[in-house]
Amino acid sequence: MTQDMRTAYKGRVLAVKNLPTLPKVLEEVTRLMEDPGTSTEQIAKVITYDQVLSAKVLKMVNSPIYGFPGRISSIQHALVLLGFNVVRGLIISTSVFDDMNKAMAGLWDHSVGCALACGEIAKILGMKDPEEYAVAGLLHDLGKVVSAVQLPEIKPELEALVRARDITFLEAEKSLLGFGHDRVNAWLAEHWNLPPNISEAIAYHHKPLSAQLYTKYACVVHIGDFLTRVYEFGNGGDDNVPVFQPHAMKLLGLNQRALENVLDALSDAFLEAADISFS
Amino acid sequence: MLEDLTAAGPLRAFLISADEAFVRQVQGIWPDTCIQWMVFDRAGAAVEQLFSDPPALLVSDAQLPDMTGDALVTLVKSENVYSQVAVVLCLPNEALHAGRDWSTLEADDFVLLPFEQEEFKARIELTLARMTRTLDANPLTRLPGNTTIIQFIKDNIEKRRDFALGYVDLDNFKAFNDKYGFLRGDEALMMAARVIVNTVRSFPGGMNFVGHVGGDDFVFALPLDTVEAACRRLIARFDAIVPSFYDAEDRERGSIVSNDRRGEVQTFPLMSVSIAVVCNRDGSLGHYAEASAIASQLKKKAKENFASCFVIDQRAG
Repeated sequence: MTQDMRTAYKGRVLAVKNLPTLPKVLEEVTRLMEDPGTSTEQIAKVITYDQVLSAKVLKMVNSPIYGFPGRISSIQHALVLLGFNVVRGLIISTSVFDDMNKAMAGLWDHSVGCALACGEIAKILGMKDPEEYAVAGLLHDLGKVVSAVQLPEIKPELEALVRARDITFLEAEKSLLGFGHDRVNAWLAEHWNLPPNISEAIAYHHKPLSAQLYTKYACVVHIGDFLTRVYEFGNGGDDNVPVFQPHAMKLLGLNQRALENVLDALSDAFLEAADISFS
Repeated sequence: MLEDLTAAGPLRAFLISADEAFVRQVQGIWPDTCIQWMVFDRAGAAVEQLFSDPPALLVSDAQLPDMTGDALVTLVKSENVYSQVAVVLCLPNEALHAGRDWSTLEADDFVLLPFEQEEFKARIELTLARMTRTLDANPLTRLPGNTTIIQFIKDNIEKRRDFALGYVDLDNFKAFNDKYGFLRGDEALMMAARVIVNTVRSFPGGMNFVGHVGGDDFVFALPLDTVEAACRRLIARFDAIVPSFYDAEDRERGSIVSNDRRGEVQTFPLMSVSIAVVCNRDGSLGHYAEASAIASQLKKKAKENFASCFVIDQRAG
């Protein structure tokens, strides 16, 4: 992979304008917004079931026009700061995936699963902002969505490669593109002024110990991603479980007992989530 | 809109033109109670008065016996103290096709001659309204500033409307600014402005107004029956969001630690909001100044509390 091609791919990825999403959450948010009695909390709760809408909301609130780039990593806070008008505008301007890409529904479930897992881990470890860990988990595979939209000719090749060689999606990306979705995440986070905790978590979820400032965030997302795969909740693009780094658990102080608590909480959370799945 | 601008009496306007027919035409557009024209047939005659006692509006012909309209406009607009004068230049129709560089024209708007009366009227009124909006707006948050705030309060007192006026300021903003610098301070103010605007807007009732007095002082207005719920919501939202504006270490600790001028260690809690609410009930407020006087009394009470809080003026109307 030459440097020139990488730069060209990066340019195409960052040129993303109207990232589409799946219809369910979009419809639900639209319905909620028509009711003047709807609270910000209700809308935030639904939006956290959609990685694309969540990313759009965070991108908007962290854009320089609002005057505090890189500060907001909570969907609820973002909605308060943007206000109904702006959120409505975002919803109206979001389109729905065409049929071909509906096959990505599994990735939406996987992302919601990872968000739930990260939130549970953060809660059990007594972290201050479990919601923000959940957001990091929700967005950890955003790079896959953006690449699928911006580099459509690559997607079928990637899928074929994953099937033919039974490798992970990440390995396929690296062999075909020269970079993985974790790198795409880093580009997007920088380009969209996402806060450093979210940025590091999604850029380093496959090698969490390399994260410099928010190592804990990266470790939580790393474990959350792994557990979601183990539970086979949703689909991350391949049938493999990503390489697990046991040091991540050590760094977080997540011992056997705490892990068991996480697993118990997750079984319940996943069951519940399967009932209200939007994809 | 022109009604608002002329509430305190007719608007003073200068009309500079040597064309008598044009002058008569302009003078016939608004009644004297609305705009009072002072007419000059030469620029030289107007300049001194313009500088010593500037009008709200200056309309000038492009061609004057002693200088061009452009030169006159530049003379006025290049001084910051006169930039609030709304300036409209009247150009011959050919000027439109002469290929001039419009970005160098310092007037606030232009009208082509011969003019159509309705268009002239619309242009002037729009220019006046735009000038008030943009000049008064706070340069950071773009919320309406003092002139608009005072006008709003005066209007509503005069019309004997019931309303509640919230005076919001941030506690420990100075400590934040001192530690993180004014750019980070501006971030916090932008956040506060959005929280106030969106919270006030989230309550129905028609009357919702937010202004930025300056620095960390804001004002909002709401109907009497929603103000308490609005204060609670505003405080809850601000308190939830404000930690994100601190560095991880301070956020974790929940305070800023810094040295004061004598080198002693001081601890400042995270920023919070104090809200003093003044009520106008059955015309209980007699005057604008009364509102701010009551507010500063209430502020003292609100400030006794360390955390975010609000105090509502409970005196019967």
